[in-house]
Amino acid sequence: MKQFCTILKFELKYYLKNKIFVGVTVFLVLLICGVMFFPRVLEFFDQEDTVDDGPRPVMLIRAEQEELAPIVCEAFSSAFTDYDVRSTDSDPDALREQILQGEAECAFEIRSLSAYTYLVDNLSMYDMNTTIADEVLQSTYRMQTMLELGLSAEQAEQILSCPIDSQTVSLGKDQFENYFYTYIMIFALYMVILLYGQMVATNVASEKSSRAMEVLITSTDPTGMMFGKVIASCIAGLIQLIAVFGSALVFYSINRGYWGDNAIVASIFDMPPELFAYMLIFSLLGFFIYAFLYGAIGSTASKLEDINTAVMPVTMLFVIAFLVVMFSLSANTVDTPLMRVCSFVPFTSPMAMFTRIAMSAVPWYEILASVAILIASVVGVGVLAAKIYRVGVLLYGNRPKLSTLLKSIF
Amino acid sequence: MLLTLDGIEKSFGDHPVLKGVSLRAESGKAFGLLGRNGAGKTTTIRILMGVFPADKGEIRIDGAPIDHKKIQIGYLPEERGLYPKKIIFDQLTYFAELKGMRRKDAGHAVDRWLERLGMTEYRNKRLDTLSKGNQQKIQLVTALAHDPHIIILDEPFSGLDPVNAMLLKDVVKEEIARGKIVLFSSHQMNYIEEFCDDIAILNAGEIALQGNLRQIKRDSRRNRLVVRTEQAEPIREKYGDACTVMEDGSLLIRLSEGVGKQATMQQLTGAYDIDEIKVFEPSLSDIFVEYAGGKA
Repeated sequence: MKQFCTILKFELKYYLKNKIFVGVTVFLVLLICGVMFFPRVLEFFDQEDTVDDGPRPVMLIRAEQEELAPIVCEAFSSAFTDYDVRSTDSDPDALREQILQGEAECAFEIRSLSAYTYLVDNLSMYDMNTTIADEVLQSTYRMQTMLELGLSAEQAEQILSCPIDSQTVSLGKDQFENYFYTYIMIFALYMVILLYGQMVATNVASEKSSRAMEVLITSTDPTGMMFGKVIASCIAGLIQLIAVFGSALVFYSINRGYWGDNAIVASIFDMPPELFAYMLIFSLLGFFIYAFLYGAIGSTASKLEDINTAVMPVTMLFVIAFLVVMFSLSANTVDTPLMRVCSFVPFTSPMAMFTRIAMSAVPWYEILASVAILIASVVGVGVLAAKIYRVGVLLYGNRPKLSTLLKSIF
Repeated sequence: MLLTLDGIEKSFGDHPVLKGVSLRAESGKAFGLLGRNGAGKTTTIRILMGVFPADKGEIRIDGAPIDHKKIQIGYLPEERGLYPKKIIFDQLTYFAELKGMRRKDAGHAVDRWLERLGMTEYRNKRLDTLSKGNQQKIQLVTALAHDPHIIILDEPFSGLDPVNAMLLKDVVKEEIARGKIVLFSSHQMNYIEEFCDDIAILNAGEIALQGNLRQIKRDSRRNRLVVRTEQAEPIREKYGDACTVMEDGSLLIRLSEGVGKQATMQQLTGAYDIDEIKVFEPSLSDIFVEYAGGKA
């Protein structure tokens, strides 16, 4: 136990004194700080230069029926507030020329209230003007027709803009509200496991390649060594996460007033505490199971260069798990048979089960079973990893085959 | 204290590495473990240190099975290496702590050894800023700082300049005098001859020869004569293949079975102008080649 503490302290110091580790943490905290203060800063600048608006782009309206021109012009002016809407009577060719010359950005040739041509120089991918024009013309047409049928303007207005009073009660989970923090948490878990897994593997392999292992292995028990390393990296990861999410929370509460109307951001910071607890359990267990695997693999590599190819299978396994969960999350199909299976398989369950808990109603016994399987697997993988480590660290030269390794363990 | 290895066997997969190795090493004496590359020296050392268990056989201290929690072992591996990017003092204290020392004691011991080896100025430097010889001296601290009962030195003199080699010799002699069991493994026979009272030659996983070095030398077959003379040619003609020229120009004559040493010596001194004639006593190198040279 004393040895384990010594190893833990030494390894933790390695992370906390590592310039990259400190740099990345500080960078992330500053980034979060910047994002969280952004609305406040934006508002500060908004107050100063509201006057400086610049000229708006010109939109030309040419109506073939003269009586439509004022109605359409008025309707378009109120719908396209970003444009300087002007009526014109130039002929179609002149209109095209005006656009090509850059005198106007776009033009509508209105043939009737239900037919028009949209003219624009370069059609942008995000050009929504025709959609807006469709709506404007539709409601103008409806208005005109109702007026012609003898309704008063007020009556017509009331029919067209009838307000609907609606309420939504979600009896299960509100997927919209949960979506964003689930997304963020899964992503954070993905980053942390990949980053720290690699760090554990590199750490082990560099001890081996520098031959410090020759002394280490004769001074201490490999199991303690392995657990010390993995737990140290876990603590370092937690410190980093706490720094990042903690600073996000602090900066958010300072700027809460400026974010008030943003439902997404508010939903992230109002995450229910039980979900946070689940997240903690699943990320810790997920972290351990992968860190042990990475550590064991690191011990089989003789040189640092071998690490990348050696860890490939584990990384692939993890990326596939991540993709399955991400697709299900994005498609809102978190209870498919695939996801159900994944939420019990130890290497995918940390992400899959957490997503299911966050996004749908999962019976308690399923959660319990998933956690129990995961804990048992962490212990199993940990013991196996320590055994591989014990054999792996003394093997130099070619990387041993899996079968050779397993034979020498059992 | 008496360290005995009794019939140690070890195989890796189907490959037997040690086939019943038995050794005896006493405290206050240095023991030389010799053998060609791949003879099983490192495996023997690792089993002794408890890195992995032996398939068969036992390790005893004063007759009782060794308890690694009580018996401290210091090890200087042949493949040197510590953490290149870490502060020397930090890593040395870490290793001493792993060996069971308290942090404060570990720090004191490390400082004492750094001073003894003249390395105090490098205390707060990174290891990779040091020369190879100095890195070796740092590594030596990991083997000695925790004041072990048994000290295992694998090729301790390789890479050291004569001054540092002298320093290391002094340190080793001090440790022997303090009653430690010192186990040497080296290919540099002159150092083994200088330090070790007892040796064992390991060949292909078996002990080919073991015992007191002086006794071994004395017991070796004394059937060769060294002759220093100005009249080398006629003697060479007389003895033919049995006579070879040594590096210093002396002649080495191997006597045939049943031929008396004294008679031959008298015969030679009578017939030729001989400057010096004596019975050839083999060096450790010669013994090593004779016992470890064959298979393996």
